[in-house]
Amino acid sequence: MTVDTVDARALHRRRVWGKVGSYTLLTVLAVIVLFPIYITVVNSLLPSREILSQPPKLFPSNPQFNAYSDAWNVGHMGTYLKNSFIVTFLITVGQVVTAILAGYAFAFLEFPFKRLLFVVFLATLMVPFEVTIVTNVSTISDLGWYNTYAGLAVPFLATGFGAFLMRQSFLTLPAELRDAAALDGYGHWRFLWRVAVPLARPAVAALTVFAFLAAWNQYLWPLLITKDDKLRTVQIGLKQLQQSSIDQLNIVFAGAVIAVIPLVILLLFFQKQLVRGLTAGAVKG
Amino acid sequence: MTIRSTRLVIVAILATAALGVLPASPAFAANSTSCPLGALKKASKPVEITMWHWMLRANGDVLQKLTDAFNASQKNVKVTLVNQVGWEETLAKYKAGLSSGDLPDIVQLQETDQQQMIDTGTVVPAGVCAKADKYSFSDFLPRVTSYFTVEGVQYAMPFNTSGPVLYYNKKAFAAAGLDPEKPPTNLSELRAAAEKLKANGVATPMGLKTDPIFLEQWTAMSNRLFANNGNGRKARTTKTVFDSPVGRQVFSWMAGMVKDGLAETNSDIGTGASDNFLGIRSGSHAMTIDSSAALGTVTAILGAGNDPNIELGVAPMPGPGSGAIRGGVFVQGGELFMVNKSAPAKQAAAWEFLKYLDSPENMTTWAIGTGYLPIRKSSASSTEMQDYWAKNPDFKVAYDQLVNGPDSIATAGSVIGPNTEVRGAVRDAENSMFLEGTDPKAAIAAAAKNATAAILDYNSRIGA
Repeated sequence: MTVDTVDARALHRRRVWGKVGSYTLLTVLAVIVLFPIYITVVNSLLPSREILSQPPKLFPSNPQFNAYSDAWNVGHMGTYLKNSFIVTFLITVGQVVTAILAGYAFAFLEFPFKRLLFVVFLATLMVPFEVTIVTNVSTISDLGWYNTYAGLAVPFLATGFGAFLMRQSFLTLPAELRDAAALDGYGHWRFLWRVAVPLARPAVAALTVFAFLAAWNQYLWPLLITKDDKLRTVQIGLKQLQQSSIDQLNIVFAGAVIAVIPLVILLLFFQKQLVRGLTAGAVKG
Repeated sequence: MTIRSTRLVIVAILATAALGVLPASPAFAANSTSCPLGALKKASKPVEITMWHWMLRANGDVLQKLTDAFNASQKNVKVTLVNQVGWEETLAKYKAGLSSGDLPDIVQLQETDQQQMIDTGTVVPAGVCAKADKYSFSDFLPRVTSYFTVEGVQYAMPFNTSGPVLYYNKKAFAAAGLDPEKPPTNLSELRAAAEKLKANGVATPMGLKTDPIFLEQWTAMSNRLFANNGNGRKARTTKTVFDSPVGRQVFSWMAGMVKDGLAETNSDIGTGASDNFLGIRSGSHAMTIDSSAALGTVTAILGAGNDPNIELGVAPMPGPGSGAIRGGVFVQGGELFMVNKSAPAKQAAAWEFLKYLDSPENMTTWAIGTGYLPIRKSSASSTEMQDYWAKNPDFKVAYDQLVNGPDSIATAGSVIGPNTEVRGAVRDAENSMFLEGTDPKAAIAAAAKNATAAILDYNSRIGA
């Protein structure tokens, strides 16, 4: 047996153990992170009385699904979910489109006061939404959009953050690309949709997810701008459920599961893009 | 970044901020001094009014039933209830509505929002309508009407009322050799009981919520003022006066309880707000002070049959000082305001509905259905209420407590605009005492200073 093979074996063994170690650690961490989600699902399937039992039940021996129908019908989660979908869809599409157009203008077009305008865009990032909420409510009311989908969505159709993100992404495209496209007879419009946007796909995906999450999780604005249950969104429904009486805890958990499912689906689809979008800037010099 | 672009950023931020922050020019608003009772007769019927409330589930159901019965009983007024989820949300939405005009005809707020609501200048005071209508509040508990009377005007209609009580585990008391039917009545007895319980193996006998309202209640129970100008009832308050012998005594008492391991604190806000109850359930606590509004929930949990080691006892909140309590507790809960931005006929309709909600029979239904206190003497003495209390004596404790002791300006409780900030100052001081070991005297002095600063800031902001 040569020295080399001993070393190789030791190295191999170390690698295996290293892998075992890191997988164990990751498993433990995953269990810790996933446990609250797991227990939420379990509790939504238990009768209310058993949720309070000690020690707590970790597995529903006799799962019951009536909490979901209760949350859906009595708790109006069905209506709220529909409203959330409509509003979130409008906001996400609106934000992505306006961000692409504004980001493109800041990256590729020359126009007067470009720098100043861009700084103004950035400055809006520093004004928290809460500060402008009262003026926004009166503006929307004056426009006659109180208690409408327009009132829920329009204030969020464009964001400084989105424009900034897309501009930064477009700036990483080499200028030669624009020149080459121009030689091929591409105008701004075709260059934007055929070349720039496909190349900036990670940023678009990241923005989509951010916009979706932010819109989906909105609470105060939908509460302020709606009059009654017909137009309210899923987070309001969840808060209403949360404050419900103690003998209906399973309905609260069911509502939470209903509210979170769309987000989980979204993340499953966009995970790769999202991670790429977030790390895209990290490796560029 | 170059100097030029830094300046650009600053200019841009200021420009954006100015655009966004500038409030709509404040319209001159004043609370009504007359009540348009006659307008209801002339209006075309039914007059439709909206009430914003934050009663959920069981409580919301009772309110809805009362409202449905009202709508069915007559053709002049039709009330629509709109649930605004919570009291914070309701106030936020009301404030936003001040500039947009989307306001209800009646709004339910938390008791501590009273001064802020008065300062919006959008109230039709209940007292004004009562006078115009020759309606008497004499059947109402004096402690309740006095809480809602500021500078001689009763602004709100009292509605959902609760009070702080002592929750304790009778079985733990018995095991420690304490008489389970004789719970502590003052803070030194409470400490003595805690020592015995601890000796008998209860880890931290008291769950002590860092709820700033305790200091307010203990101050009132000693018949002392919490804020100057008669607790803000003779004139707008300009400073707090709770840094008193009583205040210092309760702060030292709390610090001692925590330091000696007799009490464990938990926050009154956020996710830990029920830890004091959970501690009783897990056996690490045997006592806690909390609102009587929690009684229904607590009874439901403990009654589910999972907790053989717990038998719930409810007693009046132990006060500072020994012997007879010199003061009394003030009311907690919520109240109803009529809004003067509504058309006169709607204001008159709102008054009709409030009278209906607070009628003796409906107050009885409300109290039995929700666990809130009946706030009229005739409701409390009604056969239904007496029968209910005979079966559920725990629900009577907070009521008895509310009618005990003198009705004074001290037991009326304080009325303060920036209540959230004042309570925040007290909570911060308590936490610095519990977590950093700040001296109780220094802690309460800091609380008083910060609370007074918040009051002055508020007063200057609204131009008072």
